[in-house]
Amino acid sequence: MLRPAPVPLQDFLEARLAEHHRSPHALLQILVAVQHAFHWIPPEAVEALARELKLPRVRVQGLVSFYAFLSDEPQGDFVVHFSDNITDQMQGCRDLAARLCARLGSELGQTRADGLASVHLCSCTGMCDQGPAALVNYLPVTRLSPERVDRMADLILARVPLEDWPPEFFRVESQLRRSDVVFREPLEPGSGIRGSLERGGEILPEWEEDLAPGDARRHHLERGGAETLKELYRSELRGRGGAGFKAAIKWESVRDGKSGGRFVLCNADEGEPGTFKDRFLLTEHADTVFEGMTVCGHAVGSKRGILYLRQEYQYLREHLEDVLRRRRDASLLGRNILGSGLDFDIEIHLGAGAYICGMESAMIKSIEGRRGIPRRRWPLPVHQGLFRRPTVVNNVETFACAAVISARGGAWFAHSGTPQSTGTKLFCVSGDCQRPGIYEYPWGISLREVLRDSGALDAQALQVGGPSGLLLGPEDYGRSLCFEDVPSVGTIMVFGPQRDLFDSAMNFARFFRHESCGLCTPCRVGTTLLANYVRKFERRCGSPVDLEEIRRIGEIMRTMAHCGLGQTAPAHLTESIRKFPEVWSSRMRTSEFVPAFDLDWALEEARSLTGRTDPEAHLAGVEVP
Amino acid sequence: MSGTFFLDDQEIPFREGQTVLEAALAAGRFIPHLCWRPELEPHSSCRLCTVLISGRPFSACTQPAMKGQRVVCDTPQLKDLRKAVTQMLFVEGNHFCPACERSGSCRLQAAAYHLGMQDSHFPHQFPVRERDSSHPEVNLDRDRCIRCELCVRASRQLDGKNVFGIHGRGVTSRLEVNAPSGLLRDTAIAAEDQAVAFCPTGALTVKRRGFELPIGERRFDRSDLATEVLEAFAAKEARHG
Repeated sequence: MLRPAPVPLQDFLEARLAEHHRSPHALLQILVAVQHAFHWIPPEAVEALARELKLPRVRVQGLVSFYAFLSDEPQGDFVVHFSDNITDQMQGCRDLAARLCARLGSELGQTRADGLASVHLCSCTGMCDQGPAALVNYLPVTRLSPERVDRMADLILARVPLEDWPPEFFRVESQLRRSDVVFREPLEPGSGIRGSLERGGEILPEWEEDLAPGDARRHHLERGGAETLKELYRSELRGRGGAGFKAAIKWESVRDGKSGGRFVLCNADEGEPGTFKDRFLLTEHADTVFEGMTVCGHAVGSKRGILYLRQEYQYLREHLEDVLRRRRDASLLGRNILGSGLDFDIEIHLGAGAYICGMESAMIKSIEGRRGIPRRRWPLPVHQGLFRRPTVVNNVETFACAAVISARGGAWFAHSGTPQSTGTKLFCVSGDCQRPGIYEYPWGISLREVLRDSGALDAQALQVGGPSGLLLGPEDYGRSLCFEDVPSVGTIMVFGPQRDLFDSAMNFARFFRHESCGLCTPCRVGTTLLANYVRKFERRCGSPVDLEEIRRIGEIMRTMAHCGLGQTAPAHLTESIRKFPEVWSSRMRTSEFVPAFDLDWALEEARSLTGRTDPEAHLAGVEVP
Repeated sequence: MSGTFFLDDQEIPFREGQTVLEAALAAGRFIPHLCWRPELEPHSSCRLCTVLISGRPFSACTQPAMKGQRVVCDTPQLKDLRKAVTQMLFVEGNHFCPACERSGSCRLQAAAYHLGMQDSHFPHQFPVRERDSSHPEVNLDRDRCIRCELCVRASRQLDGKNVFGIHGRGVTSRLEVNAPSGLLRDTAIAAEDQAVAFCPTGALTVKRRGFELPIGERRFDRSDLATEVLEAFAAKEARHG
């Protein structure tokens, strides 16, 4: 490998191990650091980590092979991951990836023989409003065009270090197109915590010198926390991660939990393709997010918060650490916050590329340094979560709302929105629209209004809530975005009239096959079978029997799969077949049964091995694509 | 908490801490399953034991039994779904029963018979998987692995050896051997390990032990999976009081 190691591997590992006190739970964090520094996980690292952390080597390998951004093969000095979400695809990411490969003389998914570069596709990187996008050495590059890709190729071929690349390549814009009451003005740092503390009564100045007796302080803190919880009930805030569970109920369960050592966990794994609101919040409102976590710590009696940051957003880590430092300096975090006796601190954990880790129980496993496999349903995280301690897991936006609620009051918050969906919501609009970006609306806004504001009234279809969400057509545009009607994590991907909706079906089917964790049979096998059936239609060999099979597999997965991923994975396909039958019928060869085995297709491997593309290499009578 | 719950129309007593599956088996009611054994932590991965409670699906092997709960188990719809999931297991791997030493004592095959599976229905995937015959006593045939992780758990919890783990994710995930070479011969596995005994299929077999019982006279040739499992469970309960 050409890439010069920054320091010898053994020294690097020793430093990381010491930093994490040789805790086996730090395994994933250490592996991520190794990947960033060496662009792969060498076998010696696996060996050393297994030995030093006293773990079976197969567990270390199991982790490396589970997370998409960890590799057990050497990657190039420049590692490029093209975001392959449907919105990137509609903007030509596949052609751009091929263009870069051609310019570099490498193959997609491979490392160039001299170790210069590797080019891959990856799941959505959360830059859909400024795509097509890629990660270069794990940093986002946005607004890719043929010219920008050519320039990238020149820079790579000239081995120009990333620091010397044009800074505009790495510019990530917030693209807030519309704001409303909750996020219009940034919250004054500390106002949420002060609100929460003051609910327990006046903070006495002498407490800062620790003169007041401990009991009085404790009582004060207790009462403040309890009152803040009431305030949260008043707000009727529901979780912003998609499921819409009442935040106050979660918080109360954790507060009432018998065991101590409670955790506050912020889900910044925003993996649902087409979603980028957390990117916006962590960039523009990081203080508010941390403030919400701290208020939660106060309300539930927790001292430890963890923000689980997806790998695709690790470029934000420095900024987030800065904000945390600033908050510690301002006594808004750490020991004895604002002299109140409240202790709470936050650390950041990185993900490593796994959609499933957005599922709270899988995220908990991941933070414990394990493969992100969803746990069984019982016990719930609020009773036995991280390290079997009562754990609040909320979305980034939920915590931000909680901070605002603590500062301005529950009733104020509940004033906007609908009866079942209070407050406002951030929506991420991308795809075929004139003004992609972030839109804050009160819940209950109609889809048509969102489309009008974003310049997408001619849309033929929308995918709301990401691939696991709902496929909606023009007949649905009068419907309202709220838990009473169209619930959503806030993702709206727009498909214009020129699009073939089959492309989204193919993209999502592949996405779920790629992201299935593999634990349970229905999802592991079901996502594969579905992708294969869709592939059959891609080859224009579909038949009505296949559509029936897709529907049936969908039914099997909905009932039998272990977690939400498997249960929702077939939804887009079955809805596409129901609402847009012509997308599928136009790709059928006959109106009857066509066997999955296709003799001409079976010769494909032989053709590719011999490099034949001529008609003679096909069976007679077969239409050559 | 103890008391009773309803499994379809039958009232089932349960003890504190029992799952729906444990209580059902103790009461002589069989719920199909492949990845569960009483000695090990439940895993909830094969999904055959899926039941409905208040219309929502739960795996009986992990769902705690609760007083008065109404559990729906033996409906035509659920039986059909269990059969489909079993068919998925068959097409996912390479299962050639006539050539398999485990035929007749294979739980996957027995589950298929129990569920009335007549064919594999879905297109076979014909995966290419590596076989490991490096060990003098134990053979690992990944073609027959259904990723129930019984061997992973048994090796860790019962044998104290940690011989196995899972590598990768999704449909390409596979059983991995815990050795620098990745081969069984470099592990401490032995023919009498629980990890081998618990393999429900022919993925892990003991070498040079073939046809000790002729096909046709093996345990699931003689009796249904349900009978076998219930008898074994009752015997175990009796042993442990």
